[in-house]
Amino acid sequence: MATDIGRELDGNGLRTGFDLDGPRRILRGIAGIVGFLALWYLVSLTQPAYVLPSPAAVAKTFLEELASGTMTAALWSSVRHWIPGTIVGTGLGVGAGVAFAWSGLLDDVTAPLVRTLRPVPPLALIGFAIAWFGINDAGAAFIIAVGAFWINFYAAYGAVEGVSKDLLDVGRTLGVRGDLDMVRSIVLPASLPGIMTGIRTGLGRCWMLVVASEIFGVPGVGREILRASNNLLVDKVIAYILVLSLMYLLVDVAFRAAQRRVLIWQA
Amino acid sequence: MAGVNGDPAAETGGDSSETGVVVDGVGKTYDGEGDPVRALEEVSFGVEDGEFVCLVGPSGCGKTTLFRIIAGLADATDGEVRLGGLPVTGPTTDMGVVFQEYHLFPWLTVEENVGFGLDRSDRSAGERAARVDGMLELVGLSEFRESYPKSLSGGMKQRVAIARALAVDPTLLLMDEPFGAVDAQTREMLQRELLDVWGSTGKTVLFVTHDVAEAVTLADRIVVMAAEPGRVREVVDVDVDRPRERGDPAFGEHVARVRELIGAHR
Repeated sequence: MATDIGRELDGNGLRTGFDLDGPRRILRGIAGIVGFLALWYLVSLTQPAYVLPSPAAVAKTFLEELASGTMTAALWSSVRHWIPGTIVGTGLGVGAGVAFAWSGLLDDVTAPLVRTLRPVPPLALIGFAIAWFGINDAGAAFIIAVGAFWINFYAAYGAVEGVSKDLLDVGRTLGVRGDLDMVRSIVLPASLPGIMTGIRTGLGRCWMLVVASEIFGVPGVGREILRASNNLLVDKVIAYILVLSLMYLLVDVAFRAAQRRVLIWQA
Repeated sequence: MAGVNGDPAAETGGDSSETGVVVDGVGKTYDGEGDPVRALEEVSFGVEDGEFVCLVGPSGCGKTTLFRIIAGLADATDGEVRLGGLPVTGPTTDMGVVFQEYHLFPWLTVEENVGFGLDRSDRSAGERAARVDGMLELVGLSEFRESYPKSLSGGMKQRVAIARALAVDPTLLLMDEPFGAVDAQTREMLQRELLDVWGSTGKTVLFVTHDVAEAVTLADRIVVMAAEPGRVREVVDVDVDRPRERGDPAFGEHVARVRELIGAHR
């Protein structure tokens, strides 16, 4: 039956992943950063340091904070609630999203509840974080988890809803029986791209929530930013914002690499 | 309720002397808003064991609805479908189903797609591997076993879908316009290959198409349907020796006859 595979492959089988625009894009990106720093420097010449410090002043503060160990201590503290908050929120969000989207009964029962709870911003739950967990890593992790939960809940819910009914039909004709088998062997793999996009968005969101989660006194990068803001130490504020940006960048690059590996089958 | 659904070995009852597929007085009414729509009316015909039957008809004659009812993916309002004497009450691995749009699992390799149904049968790992090898060889895709569907052409995807459907060793191969999405050249090639597969496996085939020449090329008998409501207009025997040539006068006569039957009731 292999009569003419060569011809068919030439049609649309082989794809080359060559990206000639790569180096040019990187150069343009560098130009953008340099341009931004130049503009920042020029504006900072006209402003006092408590409004806008120069890039050099920020770099100096950054290195000082790093050398004194304050920065690494703050980062370590933030990571200690970022990791559990992100993992718990992501896990529960994906789990609930898949379950509610797949089960009509669960969906019906929970729809009003979901609509009521959805608009509550994580920050508004700080009272509960303190009452239930205290002013500690667990309390901060709770705030982060709430944020991660909703992003992942909706991403997973949408991804499962979008799974082709035809694939489910094919599964049935090939002997898939019962919800568990169907979810494991068809629904989850088919919705994985959407779920992973949600996780990636959530990872970034959780770094933003680090600031909010430390508003009530838990130490960390966010706490440093808030304290520096109160004292008009803008150079320190920017230095710690840079820490959040770098952490986000690091996690995002790592996750994207993992995503590409897992979704190698995707067009 | 006794019936073919999932695990037919455990089922009892039915008429054990009846073989092949029997579509018995199948009717389908859709209750939408407004008046209910009668999609199928008293559809009855049979397919003998080992026979190749094509189902043709004008658009809107309920071919796809009937296909889904036979596959156990939809319920009939009246009548029933029986496979080997047992009523079909749901999807069953006794039928290998092939759809027009392939519907391969994109996250699985060619090999894993073909083996998907086998993972749910009680075959040993060795039997499973041998069966997958055999199927890949049958459709000529052994060297693409580790490819993902995204890198395959339409014709190759449909070969994988056929291999996947046949892997679980169904008694009936049920196909819904399987070659409708490929170019004309590939379609003719796939038709020849399907006849080879049919010849070598001896499967019963029920093949839905809107292409009359395709039906005359493939079928022992052609069930011609009429629309509004969908019903059987006539069953045409194709008495032309295989391999069939389109230039053969007998071939042309059959095509004309079937076209007339479809057109006459439009």
